[in-house]
Amino acid sequence: MSAAAQLELRGVTKRFGGVAAVDGVNFEIAKGDIVGIIGPNGAGKTTLLNCISGVYHLDGGDIRWEGASIAGMAPHRIASLGIGRTFQIVKPFGSMTARENVAIGALFGSAHMRRGMKGAFALADEVLELVGLKAKADQPVSALTIPDRKRLEVARAVATRPQLLLLDEVMAGLNNVEIDEALEMVRSVHASGVTVLLIEHVMRVIVGVCRRAIVLDSGRVLAEGEPEVVLRDERVIEAYLGERYAKRLKSS
Amino acid sequence: MIATAASNRRWKRIFLIAGAILAAYALLAPLTSLDAAQSANIPLLADKFWLRIATSIAMFVVMATAWNIIGGITGYAAFGNVAFFGIGAYTTGMLVAKAKWPFLLALPLAPVVAAAFAILVGLPLLRLRGHYFAVASLGVGVAVGELVQNIDYRGQPVFGGASGLFLPIFRIANRDLFFFYLMSAAAVLSIAVTWWVLRSRFGYGLIAIRENEEAASVLGVNTTAYKVASFGLAAALTGLAGGIFSQWNVFVNQDNVFPIEYNVQMILMALLGGTGTVFGPAAGAVLLYLLIQFLGGTLPISFDIPFVSTDARPIVAQIILGLLLIVVVIFVPRGVIDFFGGRTRLSLSYLRRSLRETSL
Repeated sequence: MSAAAQLELRGVTKRFGGVAAVDGVNFEIAKGDIVGIIGPNGAGKTTLLNCISGVYHLDGGDIRWEGASIAGMAPHRIASLGIGRTFQIVKPFGSMTARENVAIGALFGSAHMRRGMKGAFALADEVLELVGLKAKADQPVSALTIPDRKRLEVARAVATRPQLLLLDEVMAGLNNVEIDEALEMVRSVHASGVTVLLIEHVMRVIVGVCRRAIVLDSGRVLAEGEPEVVLRDERVIEAYLGERYAKRLKSS
Repeated sequence: MIATAASNRRWKRIFLIAGAILAAYALLAPLTSLDAAQSANIPLLADKFWLRIATSIAMFVVMATAWNIIGGITGYAAFGNVAFFGIGAYTTGMLVAKAKWPFLLALPLAPVVAAAFAILVGLPLLRLRGHYFAVASLGVGVAVGELVQNIDYRGQPVFGGASGLFLPIFRIANRDLFFFYLMSAAAVLSIAVTWWVLRSRFGYGLIAIRENEEAASVLGVNTTAYKVASFGLAAALTGLAGGIFSQWNVFVNQDNVFPIEYNVQMILMALLGGTGTVFGPAAGAVLLYLLIQFLGGTLPISFDIPFVSTDARPIVAQIILGLLLIVVVIFVPRGVIDFFGGRTRLSLSYLRRSLRETSL
């Protein structure tokens, strides 16, 4: 355990009935890192994010944030420590404008950086510009397209001024141009000093921005390392494409 | 006509001025001597009967506006808010009737006790969502009334039992006028509280909870504390109305301070006027209260409903209210307040659009 670890997972386990969706996961993330989590459907990626953000209670193991345990904390307390997240299925506040949505993040979020109404709306405007939604700030959420709603989801999380940002498949369902824009957005958020942990199915994203990738399969860490190396790992190919395909790939 | 920003502002100003004149008349008319006004035949408020109606309206304005805080802004459909009204009424009633406290000293305790009770039951209850919360809160509303009437200690009813509580008459010149102003002050207070809530960090947190509770919590909203505070705030205002009612009415029992139909009426008022808004529930309270009295035949301006005997009138009134609820929910989902201020106008296309939006 290095002292520099900002987030540290030790034997994190979450069961639903008899199924262990996350089963003894260990890893750590250093401050300022940008890490991708990949894995086939049902591997437990989103469940893991829900464990970190406090949406789920752990059935075993411990999660440490800057050395102190955050296991069992309510989501709002974890958010106030500086851990922000997005949802894979976006959850905007439907009756509000885009600007108000982001202002909620600015009004709450990290405890030590909270500000008044004016400051919150000013920050909301800044973040909207960062994600490219400035022109649509005063539109109701219902008027936004799907890519814009994904941007809004990220903007709201960024407005909480997190030290660690958990992104759950923000690129899913976007076309190539939109992915490039979203990549740029993630890069600029990371460049502002935020540690990023992102779940992604689009390998281009993982290879493009991540320094490190963690592969989950059936709730366990299958492989960990540099994205290019991990993606060539035999076990990873097997998990994604099946044993037979992996063998064929090897023999060819 | 396309509503421009300028015409919006103009309409808003017109409605504000008209509202201010109406409110000023309602508040000042009773000040003129009652006898003189009656002999001069000045209608409406300068008359004991209408003063009673106006005080009741103010009471429902408080209840509907308070319900709006938990039901409209926070999105938790509380069906048992009458419990807070009753608790407020019994708190003040017990202190005045049994402990011989002066009324004005006993009144501030009504909202305090009601809010304390709401926080206590809110902690477990507000973990439930949707229909589950609605039904559970209805249960609490009914249970509290029954408990208050039936709790005995050494064979003696603690809270007056079935015969209720009689309060000594509050000695003040122009009593009716005093209670009208007191209740109106409570109404203004509840509207002012709503106005503040909708502009505060607290209110934004509550709306976030209404729109998506999970998203609100990961953004840092302490959802449990916010929901309980919202419930407590609604209870405090409702309890205040109850406390004023107990001394105004002089007599308090289960039937008049825990009526189940108040639960439905305050929700209907908020829906009719427009939930989540500052003035909607108040507008709904005025409209619906007058309609209920009109249909019930208690107003002097009345008419015979064709083919309906006088005995069947209350039942027919209930049916009409039920139909009204359906029509409002389907066709005017944002309430009648939506038509004020010039943003939207009541038209066939509005109704058609609403129907499309509300039908699945």
